[in-house]
Amino acid sequence: MIRIPARLQWEIYSHAEGSYPNEGCGLLVGTTDKDKNHTVHAFRPCKNLNMERARDRYLMDPLCQLRVAREFENSPWEIIGIYHSHPDHPSRASQTDTDRAVEIGATVWSYVIVSVRQGKVAGAQSWVLNENEKKFHEEPVVTVSEEGDSK
Amino acid sequence: MSSVTVKIPSPLRPLTAGQSEVKIEGATVREVLQKMDSQFKGFGERVLDDGSTVKRFINVYVNEDNIRDKRELETEVKNGDTISILPSIAGGLGSK
Repeated sequence: MIRIPARLQWEIYSHAEGSYPNEGCGLLVGTTDKDKNHTVHAFRPCKNLNMERARDRYLMDPLCQLRVAREFENSPWEIIGIYHSHPDHPSRASQTDTDRAVEIGATVWSYVIVSVRQGKVAGAQSWVLNENEKKFHEEPVVTVSEEGDSK
Repeated sequence: MSSVTVKIPSPLRPLTAGQSEVKIEGATVREVLQKMDSQFKGFGERVLDDGSTVKRFINVYVNEDNIRDKRELETEVKNGDTISILPSIAGGLGSK
């Protein structure tokens, strides 16, 4: 499960809509509990460096990743997930998403995918990679208020 | 020999017993990564292609410099430098 405060969900959706018709991407920063559930405490947008195929691919700027890791290195928070958008397509993890996540063994991160249709967010799902099966499985997304109550 | 700090991203931490950073000595990035491989079984396999280049989906930074813009694995390191191992984050809906 991944818990996302409503304010940060709004920031992510705004970034996805602002990136349309291209794919947007960014990092989710927060904590992981003993049951491997994630709670997001900060969102940092990153540049999509895939200029040639930005409408259906993303390549996150590694310098953004480096700087975000540094920003939070002395805090209890760390990178716990990746967000990217799918313009005019569902929020399901694609084969490309799966292949790239398997390559880096990203089993500890949540992959939040936002579907944007005609410039407006149409939905979002979160996925976790099972390395043995080499498949993404959907995980529940819980939107919480700033006070931490579930909605 | 320089003493450097190697920052480990969370997907690779199972190989370093959960450590997020490791202090290690070396004169070049290659030496440092080879020592990491000696110390942590399987580390080299995840980061290097046959020991001669960095895997294409891994980025290695010395401080804020990508070693691909420097001298790759022969990039020299100084005392106090930080080497960051970063998995390349990519994907998208396109399949071809």
